[in-house]
Amino acid sequence: MLYLPYWATDFLKRADPGLRDAPLVLFERIKGGLRLGAVEPQLLRQGLRIGQNLADARAIFPHLVVQEMNRPALADAFEGLADWHSNASPLVSILKDVNAFGDLVLDVTGVSHLFGGEQAMLRTLLSRLRALGYTVSGAIAPTIGAAWAVSHFARSQVVENASLETILDALPVAGLRISESQISGFLQMGLTTIGQVRQRSRKQLQARFGSSLLLRIDQAFGQIEERMTPRLPPIDHHVDRKLADPVSLMDDVLMITHDLAVKLSFMLEAEGQGAQSFHLFLYRVDHKVMTLSLNSGRLTRDPHHISDLFRHRAQRLGGEYDAGFGIDMVRLAASSIEQLDQVQTGAFSDESGLVDIDRLADRLASRLGTAAVLKTELLASHVPERAARLVPAQAAAAAVSVQTPLLQRPLRLLPFPEQVAITAQVPDGLPALMIWRRAPYRLTKGQGPERLGGEWWRQRARLKLVEPPPPKKPEPGEKPEQPSYVPDLPLCEPFAGTRDYFIVEDGEGRRFWVFRQGLYGSGQQTTWYLHGIFP
Amino acid sequence: MPPQDRRQRLDALRDTIAGIERKPALIEARQRVEAEGDGFPQLPRGLVQEVYADASRDGGGSLAFALAQARSLLNTRRPSIFYVQLAQDAQALGLPYGPGLTWFGLDPASLTIVRTADMMEFLWATEEIISCRAVAAMVADIKGSPRLLNFTASRRLSMRASSNKVALFMLRYGSRQETSASHLRWRLSSQPGSKNPYDSKGLGAARWRLRLEKGRIAGQRTEWLLEWTKNGLAVFTSPSTDSSFARQSTTVPGAVSALLGDRFSEAS
Repeated sequence: MLYLPYWATDFLKRADPGLRDAPLVLFERIKGGLRLGAVEPQLLRQGLRIGQNLADARAIFPHLVVQEMNRPALADAFEGLADWHSNASPLVSILKDVNAFGDLVLDVTGVSHLFGGEQAMLRTLLSRLRALGYTVSGAIAPTIGAAWAVSHFARSQVVENASLETILDALPVAGLRISESQISGFLQMGLTTIGQVRQRSRKQLQARFGSSLLLRIDQAFGQIEERMTPRLPPIDHHVDRKLADPVSLMDDVLMITHDLAVKLSFMLEAEGQGAQSFHLFLYRVDHKVMTLSLNSGRLTRDPHHISDLFRHRAQRLGGEYDAGFGIDMVRLAASSIEQLDQVQTGAFSDESGLVDIDRLADRLASRLGTAAVLKTELLASHVPERAARLVPAQAAAAAVSVQTPLLQRPLRLLPFPEQVAITAQVPDGLPALMIWRRAPYRLTKGQGPERLGGEWWRQRARLKLVEPPPPKKPEPGEKPEQPSYVPDLPLCEPFAGTRDYFIVEDGEGRRFWVFRQGLYGSGQQTTWYLHGIFP
Repeated sequence: MPPQDRRQRLDALRDTIAGIERKPALIEARQRVEAEGDGFPQLPRGLVQEVYADASRDGGGSLAFALAQARSLLNTRRPSIFYVQLAQDAQALGLPYGPGLTWFGLDPASLTIVRTADMMEFLWATEEIISCRAVAAMVADIKGSPRLLNFTASRRLSMRASSNKVALFMLRYGSRQETSASHLRWRLSSQPGSKNPYDSKGLGAARWRLRLEKGRIAGQRTEWLLEWTKNGLAVFTSPSTDSSFARQSTTVPGAVSALLGDRFSEAS
């Protein structure tokens, strides 16, 4: 657990060197008044406090530098810092119980030996933040609650399992991460430390402070496990490259990516596995992480393919790429890992082009976006626009094909039917003249109609049910019969969405697919649309 | 000079010129095609063909002409056809429709549709696709005359296509013609379809008139009257005579029989 109590002012001072020696306070509007939201530590020692009226503070210190507090921006920047800490531990999250920013939780299980032990790791984490100008305290403890309490209310240290209770018992009750009203309740009772609270019976405590207090106590002492949700998805396989000097050109990053892809493919090959999702994390010197993620259509571990995809993805990035002051660590990670056996290439391999096609689709999708590379998926529906839909080619491989009846359908379908003016010789006959896109067409031949009804089950309409039998009179001693439930939906109009489709040909041989919405003689307005173009 | 020598020398000179122009595919087209008979020849891979239609309303015919040729180029090593279109042109031109492709005799699963946001991406995608040796054919549907698609760009595409043996069809609309490095340029116009033997008002097979405006295949012939049958493209001699079912219809080599052709793409 890392605690940055003065994150807001420290961050702004770091971002703007002009503020370094200025007495900085941040205010925010609370209920129409201007109150202090964050105060730098020196001023806190001189008597300012958070929540104080801004006018009072100005009266005490006339030279205050005042800025309005932008909480979303600060929280956003803190999330960037949290992601950056994934270079220390893969599982990082922000504890938002008390404050939107300031509390950082790192799961260091199995990681600390990389830093030379827990003591050394804590020292490294703290000193590198202090070197950047942040006020920070930290603790490594068996539970999240204990680490929070120690980092907030004691000196930075590593808490062992054996000394957990003695250390925690000496800390003030606020260390339990409880609400203001609960803290003031304890003060009224004269209980100041956690140890004193624990001597009280649990029943009494629950009656007065609610079960949330007991939960916090149990979490701090490890009776109940507390879970953290890591900000970045946990990753099984990753390779890192730490750079002595930061790089900023995308080309350099891509070369490093290729090296990492080769390493990663060795790693995957040794385990006989392949991956479908690849993530590239770029750790910037100024504590931000850029993430590029992409998917491949089938399992792969081919380093050339992986680095190709990232190269195309980077071209789509364009102006979004901002290396800041440089990138000092690059991480390539793989997820969606499954078994991928070695295949023999050569004598007995089938020379199918499907693998190459999938790779081509990957490359296209990485540059153009997944929604740009599409395949047709046929669905079991008789409504033309629902009978086929376009799905991303990478996802279409798993789709199950449906057997659809063979119908005469146009080669090109307009995404939206266009309204046309049509006159027919007799109302129900074949169309004779059509005006489409302001050009007239004299229609000489035609075929139809093919009548397609609307899908009443999708229109939330209900069929006209048989009249329910009249309710019987309840006999004495019997429960009255419940009337059967009839949903309150409009009755189905069987001809509401009905269309009559015609294939028509004009004098020059062009063929179109037109339909009439609505039936003659049903009293509704009939409208003609052009829906597709035949060869 | 004896005619034999003369002919040999002429052939040698033609080869040299073609070598300079780096158009091996065109030579191959001429040599391969001359052996075929009266029907529509099967054109080899690696050609860039421009198919001009008068307006976007004729887009059905030009797409069918391209897909009819592309269908016969499919095999297990080259199992896929790509179709590229600008996303903004979808409403004006229409998108290839799955059930319609099935009716046409092409499995929709073998057609990948790429929709790009601008012409720059369009050209990039085109080049990327025709660089892949597992692609049988690619259809580029272009409305209007974008400035980026100039002679340099089309030369680049035609060299890439012939070196990778991918057939590239560029569907264009309008009567304005631009300089391009395509191997063949067709002008397609619809013709009244054949008579339906069972219904005088009904529809028969679709027919198109194709005029070869650039390039040369199969001798000096520049005009074809084609009819779409389920076996492939068939030639009919004049618009007045009617094709019957027993007519000599040149099946495109590699196409499967009509019964199977409805549902399956051919696998040769």
